[in-house]
Amino acid sequence: MSERLRAIWPPVLIAILFLAAWEALVIVQEIKPYLLPAPTLIWENFTKDLGLMWSAAFYTGTTAFLGLVFGTIVATAFAFMAQRVGIINNLITPLAAGLAAVPIIALTPILNNMFNITSRTPRVLVTMIIVFFPMFVNITRGLIQVQPVQLELLRSLNTKPRTTLRVLRIPNAIPFFFTGLKIAAPLAVIAALVAEYFGGPQQGLGSRIASAAANTAYGRAWAYVVASIITGLLFYLIVLAVEKWTTPWTGRTRST
Amino acid sequence: MTNPTDTGSARNEAVRARGVWKIFNEGQPNEVTALQDVDLTVSDGEFVSLIGPSGCGKSTLLRVIADLTDATRGDLSVAGVTPHEARRQQLYGIAFQQAALFEWRTVQRNVELPLELQGWDKKKRAARALELLEMVQLADFASHRPWELSGGMQQRVAIARSLAVDPPLLLMDEPFGALDEMTRERMQNELLRIRNETGKSIIFVTHSIPEAVYLSDRVVVMSPRPGRITHIVDVNLGERNEDTRESESFFESVTAVREALRGRSSGSAVRARIGEV
Repeated sequence: MSERLRAIWPPVLIAILFLAAWEALVIVQEIKPYLLPAPTLIWENFTKDLGLMWSAAFYTGTTAFLGLVFGTIVATAFAFMAQRVGIINNLITPLAAGLAAVPIIALTPILNNMFNITSRTPRVLVTMIIVFFPMFVNITRGLIQVQPVQLELLRSLNTKPRTTLRVLRIPNAIPFFFTGLKIAAPLAVIAALVAEYFGGPQQGLGSRIASAAANTAYGRAWAYVVASIITGLLFYLIVLAVEKWTTPWTGRTRST
Repeated sequence: MTNPTDTGSARNEAVRARGVWKIFNEGQPNEVTALQDVDLTVSDGEFVSLIGPSGCGKSTLLRVIADLTDATRGDLSVAGVTPHEARRQQLYGIAFQQAALFEWRTVQRNVELPLELQGWDKKKRAARALELLEMVQLADFASHRPWELSGGMQQRVAIARSLAVDPPLLLMDEPFGALDEMTRERMQNELLRIRNETGKSIIFVTHSIPEAVYLSDRVVVMSPRPGRITHIVDVNLGERNEDTRESESFFESVTAVREALRGRSSGSAVRARIGEV
């Protein structure tokens, strides 16, 4: 436990020092809130509207979660196809890379027109697209990059491809899956949030940041930014916890 | 040392190779003859080592026997049937230089893998795995994960796994190659003990001369470009014990194998020179 504490205190200390310096800078230089509000002002706004913070985070978090789940399902399906057929892999990988290069900013208004703008659908779609690439690349790699000697062993045991998939490729891909998920989960929150900047329902974090900023309520805008950071972090930490729980062998040196 | 009367089955040859060739990229400019006209018979219960420099085809020969790759030409029978049939019927177990354990499985579940694939029920395979772990003296580590074990222990798990379905033949591709000398000698004694307990036939690939001599009834000396068998050295050391490694006859056999290896290389050098003229 004390070891854990020793790992935690340096970043905590740095964070406190950073916030203190920030606060001091704002007070000493008399920086206007619309340029940079003090941490205390942000905190004040955050605690004052805690209920709103929570509901906005919940709305955007739900979008992000749905996009993450559906995006992961689609990516997993494609990864399995890619593992099975090399040609599909060669076709999808550049396509997936291309998809990753599509700026969601350009995509959102189009999806808003294609689907019902008053629904959550276009936002979930945007999030799915963002989630797809890191998930697809990592799962595919996990399914394909097994130790050759393990494949030989299974061949010597007269194992069918389906069984090889079950006893070797899928377990091998699980750490890769989580690597992808650790990238994709915070990205999903960002995607869900940014997608809200282009109209539609206004109860999410992105909409709240935009409208607070438009109303020159900078303290409140920043408070929503804090709520966004917490949401993204929460997504990441949940993935981390699930990973620790389900795959205790990751992070270890590979057995030879 | 040998146990010719062990099984009493009709097949008394663990492996029989006649005129076996393995040619990679045949007919192409980058053609490589990995095995040239290999004749080899391994009797039931015999311990045979394959030794030679890199590229001599010793691993290829093992892989052909294991049906991990096809022979280009020649007749080959493994435990009385074709290599493919032997693999299908699980008539051999195999261990590689890498332990190739599945890190998401416990030690016990790694040993159980071959049984699981054969559809053994859970209780029976657990009992069998524990019996094997007992044999390799790792019963206390059954529920550990592979990464918690040392290299030598991992390799013992791999050996236990190769014995899981109780195959008559054991194929080993430099299984102790990555271990330090002390561990290596201990593992050699361990392997001989297991062999005495089980009466398996063993084909053992190595490039350590003392290891080959210490373990084997016969040492098959191979030579590269093209890969072929040049000598077969009989080793008669009787029961191995702590003194064997320092005995006169041990050194004599080591010398015999060394000369067989050297004789080959100088021979091919001579031929190469003649070829140039």
